[in-house]
This record gives sequence, C-alpha cells and structure tokens, in this order.
Amino acid sequence: MKTRIFSVLCENAPGLMMRISRDFTRRQINIDSITVGIEPSGMARIILMFKADDHMAEHLYRVISRLTQVINVEVLDPKTSIVREVALLKTKKMSDKEMWKVVQQVEKAGGRILESKGNALVAELSGNHEDIEQLVQTLGPNVLQEVARSGQVLISREMG
Amino acid sequence: MAEMTGAEALLGSLKAEGAKHIFGLPGGAILPVYDVLYDDPDIKHILVRHEQGAAHAADGYARASGKAGVCLTTSGPGATNLATGILNAYMDSSPVVAMSGQVPSKFIGSDAFQEADMLSVMLPITKHNFLVRNVAEIPSTVKLAFEIAIADRQGPVHIDLPKDVQASKADVKIPAKVKFKRRVNLDPEPERIREAINLLTKAQRPVIYAGGGVISSNASGELVALAEMLGAPVVTSLMGKGAISEDHPLALGMIGMHGRRAANLAVTESDVLLGVGVRFDDRATGDVQHFAPKAKIIHIDIDQVEIGKNVRVDVPIVADAKRGIAAITEGLRKHAKRGKPSEWLGRLEKLRKEFSPRMDYDEVPIKPQRVIKEIMGVLNEDAIVVTEVGQCQMWAAHFFNTRKPRHFISSGGLGTMGFGFPASMGAKVACPKCDVVDIAGDGSFLMNSQELATVVENKINVVVCILDNRYLGMVKQWQDMFYKKRRSAVCLGTTPDFPKLAEAYGAWGDCVTRPSEIAPKLKEALRCGKPAVLDIVIDPDEHVLPMVPAGGRLDQMLT
Repeated sequence: MKTRIFSVLCENAPGLMMRISRDFTRRQINIDSITVGIEPSGMARIILMFKADDHMAEHLYRVISRLTQVINVEVLDPKTSIVREVALLKTKKMSDKEMWKVVQQVEKAGGRILESKGNALVAELSGNHEDIEQLVQTLGPNVLQEVARSGQVLISREMG
Repeated sequence: MAEMTGAEALLGSLKAEGAKHIFGLPGGAILPVYDVLYDDPDIKHILVRHEQGAAHAADGYARASGKAGVCLTTSGPGATNLATGILNAYMDSSPVVAMSGQVPSKFIGSDAFQEADMLSVMLPITKHNFLVRNVAEIPSTVKLAFEIAIADRQGPVHIDLPKDVQASKADVKIPAKVKFKRRVNLDPEPERIREAINLLTKAQRPVIYAGGGVISSNASGELVALAEMLGAPVVTSLMGKGAISEDHPLALGMIGMHGRRAANLAVTESDVLLGVGVRFDDRATGDVQHFAPKAKIIHIDIDQVEIGKNVRVDVPIVADAKRGIAAITEGLRKHAKRGKPSEWLGRLEKLRKEFSPRMDYDEVPIKPQRVIKEIMGVLNEDAIVVTEVGQCQMWAAHFFNTRKPRHFISSGGLGTMGFGFPASMGAKVACPKCDVVDIAGDGSFLMNSQELATVVENKINVVVCILDNRYLGMVKQWQDMFYKKRRSAVCLGTTPDFPKLAEAYGAWGDCVTRPSEIAPKLKEALRCGKPAVLDIVIDPDEHVLPMVPAGGRLDQMLT
C-alpha cells in the first residue's frame, strides 16, 4: 500500500492528537510516524505518515478535515517535499577497533558523534527515512544499544 | 462584565442560547449548578430517574423541536450513564448539549471519588467536547457548544465542568457572538447542479431517496416541490420518514431491510437516484453491489465524509439539503417543459397496489400490523410517534404513514433499546400541544420504564403503546429465521404486569387483547389526563415481513 502524508494545521488544544489518532485507530490504520510542531501563528502542525489504499486515504482526509479544531489538511507528496528525520543512536560497549569502525560508518552516512564515554558512543544522524534506516541496518543490533527517532517532518518545496 | 460564579455563568449562558428545559439528575460534583437552579424561574429542570433517560429526552426534544436539547448530570457514573444516549444522538445527527460535573481540577487524574475521564469517554461519541478550566471560559464554551451542535451536520456536544470552576467567581461577560468557523459551504457548486439537472431531465425512471438531512435542514417543502416538478417518486430512509407525507401520491415509503416492497423495487429499477441527506446505511441499501444497479447516483449531503463512503456516486454535491434541492428545482424551472415519466409512474402505481402493506387482520391474539392500523386511525396528523427499537420499531416504520417531518422519532443508527420512552418525554416537553405516542415493545420499554416516575411527577402526558409479545422479538425473529428456531435467551416470561406497573407509578394503565378494543382504549389513554401505558397483547410468533436478510438484495425480499 502507498505511503500517505497529511500535514494537519489545527488549533493548539489539549487532546487534539487523540482526536486525530483515534480516527486512524478505529479504522485499524497504523500510523508510521507522527510529529507535532507549533507554527509562528500559535497553531499546531501535525504531520502524519501512514499506509492506506486510495479509498481509505480519501475517507481519512475527509474525517480529519471535519474535526472542529482542524483548520485544514494538506496531502503532501514525498517527491515534492523536503523530508527529514533525526535519529540518536547509542551503542553498546565495544573494543577500540570496533569503535573506530562505527565512527567511520557514522561519518560516512553524514552523521556526527555527540558523546563518547568508556568505549560507547552516541551519534546523531539527520536525513530522509531511508538514510537513517540504512545506518541502523548497517550498525545492526550487535552494535546498537538504543535508538531514538524523531519521526518524519516535511515541508513542501513550493515557495511563496 | 459582572462578577458571578461559574454556575451562574453557566445558567446565564444557557438562557442566552434560549434553553428553557434541562433534563438532569444531580450529584456531588454538580451541586453548585443545582444550587443556582434551585431558585431560577426561567429554566425548568426535569428530574429524570436515570441519566440515560436525560440524554434520550434531550435527543427527543431536539428532534421534535429542531432546537438543541440540554441534559445535565454529575460526574463519574452520572456522566458515563449519558454515554449511550449521547452516541445515539451522534449516530442520528441530533443536536444535544450535554453537561456533567467533574471532580475539582486539582483532583483530576487522581482516581478521585466519582471521577471518570469524560474528556476521553465523550471524545469519540460527540461532534466535539470540552473540559472548561476556568470561569472565564464558561460563557464562550456554552455558546460554542450550541453553535457546533446546530451547525452543518448536527450532533451532540459535551461540556465537562470541574466543581471548583462552578463555584469560583470571576468577572465574566456573556458574549453575543463567538468566533466559529463553519466547516462547510452550504451552497452547492453550480457545475454539479448542472450535472444533476442534466441527468434528471434525461431520466426515464427517476427516484428521490430522502433521509434525516432533509428533516434537520427543514427542507420538506423543497423536497415535495422537486418531486412534483419531476414527477419522481420519493422513498425514504428510517430517519427520513416524514420528510414527505406518506399519504402523498408520490411517496412510496421507507426502503431497506424492512422497507416497503414497492419502494425497494423502485430503487432497484431506477435509472437516476437522487439521494438527499442520506448516508446509504447498510440497513437501507442491502448488498451495495446490487443497490440501484441501473442508476446514476446523485448524492447531496452536508457532510462530505458521507459522499462516496458506502456507494459509488456519479454526481457528488456537498451542500445543505434545503439549498441543494432548491438549486436543482430552480435550474429545472429554466429548462424546457418536460412530460412526467408517466410509464414509470404507472409501473409504480401497479407495484404499490400489488404490494400494499396488509393490516386488516382480525385475529386474536392481535396481529401487530392491526395495532399500527388502529393507532394510525386514532392519531391526528399532528401527533408525534416515537418508537422503541426492534420489531415494534420496524412495524411502525413499515406500516405507519407519517404525515409531517419531526413527527416520527426513532433510534436509527445505534438502534438503542430503551430510547423511545424517554425520547417521547422530551418530544412532549418540546411540543406540549401534540399527542405523543411511544410505539414500544415490552423488552425495550422495560429498559427505561423508571421514567414513569418522571412523566407522572412532571405531568408529561405521553402514551406508551406496548406491542407485548413477551419476547425480545427481533432477536427471536432472527433466531427463528437464521438459527433453526433455537430461541436462546429471548423469552421474557410473564412479568411484569404492565398496567399494574403503570398504576404503581400513578400513571393510567390498561390491557387489551382484541383488535376492536385498541382504538377506544387508546382514545381513553390520550384523554385520561395522565401519562398512560396501554398493554396490547400481540401474537408472539409474528415476524416483521417482508425482509431483506442482512447483506441481501433489495429486490429479493423474504415474504
């Protein structure tokens, strides 16, 4: 099924995330990523990524648009948007040799080391979903202790 | 600006919205509001005996009057008892403003005594809901609640009121206006209207399918005008009963699982179907693959979520039903005169005669069809019929000819047993001059029969006609038809004695067992000057027929 992205502009009110997410839950649609940011206007922008067929995506678009506190819903296409995700990666304790290899892998992927202590480190990588997925796969469960990911944020390339 | 408590601000705001009646039941967390209600001369509080009754009564009030109904309870169990009634109002798009007390702000989230997380409980079953955080928020919240309940597709709104907010004081002003952005354009797009007119003028076998949206937008006049101009028959959903008088020559009655055969066949044979204020519910359409298979479908609805949700639509029109129909009629007027589809109308007349519902049974035990015939004979066109849920409801929906909008009130989407009696109480409060009759089953009536105390105490003289078969009849019918007659847990035994139950509350009660007794006893009940319960003993083996089995085709009814 196709990945869908909604960018929902809404009032910054308690419970609104629940109002939106429960419309997905009751239709058994799994949200892959959800992020919230506050716009300069004080409104909240919620970005949702999920997979659904055309009929369900259209239905969800209308259902979310209908909510009292929702101002509008934009359907974004990943191809015409700038997509970013941030991941923080904490490693297990490693030998010096292993550590050296990990640092190289992180830097090659465009990440950077934020902290290192007692032969373990925390790295940061920002990029698109696939970039991050690739680094997580490359390092693998033998190296990684913990991964914190922001979920995807995106903004349309259209200006003005 | 004036200094007042939250409770005073609440009542002041309700009055500013024109609320004159509140159905409610007090408790610890709503005491400050009830203390102000105590000597308020402008709002009549009707003390129910169970909070579910308050929600259904407010719902019945709203459906009969077109204005928002109001109900009020305490926190915790008082508030959760509203839930079924509020969901019922939501499913049928009925404007209700429900309010309940909440534990004091500082205790919220601590599992305090009689605390329930009503913000979460009400969230999926209301159009919108609020938790007020301070006195200053109360007037604008109440104003907004009424706006939301009535605007666009109507529905219930809930306000959670922490006790400390009710009791604390602040300088507040009751606003004349509140910032509220309507979600929808009420006017249809002209291009879509042109497409609809194009289809309708070419149609050989047009059918109009009207639903509750026609009633809530007060569009009956426009509907009948369009039907007459087109010479198109009108079928309705359960919620649409009364949108056109069912005595009108173009009215074919309700469609669906227990619809009239002529109506179901008309939809199946139609070449253009104009759905207005309907949601093509599964009980109405049956198998959607075979629903109106030859027809182009035009769908007018105020809620874009409904368009294309259940059936394919050729011309989607997002608009208020009244404005949508009026735009089509206006456009048609400019068209060259066209003849009425006389061949089609002839075919329908034949179907209507061939399948006219039979009600003239003389048997004892009484056939329920005969009961509906007798009730129809006694009531005038201003009488409001409310129903419970199950067989009684479907007999009423199928056989009773409703003559006016807002004069047939039934739990459609949720199918809530126990709805009818408290809803009839709400309808009678809204329309005290109308006779109000609850067509009930014994099972449904017992679910909220405690409200007999409320109607007697408040002299709300409704008449309950119990179609008494001592069964959960619709469940029994399905067991008879689809579960080899294994009647599991559906027999209700011989208790209670309904007339005695009524008399115990101080209401009028009597029982009839012969068809000829129904009309005189019903007249007596309507004139007795008290709430009344007429126990009508009916044939326990009678099924609601014809019937389209769940998921079956409308043109293939079991008879």
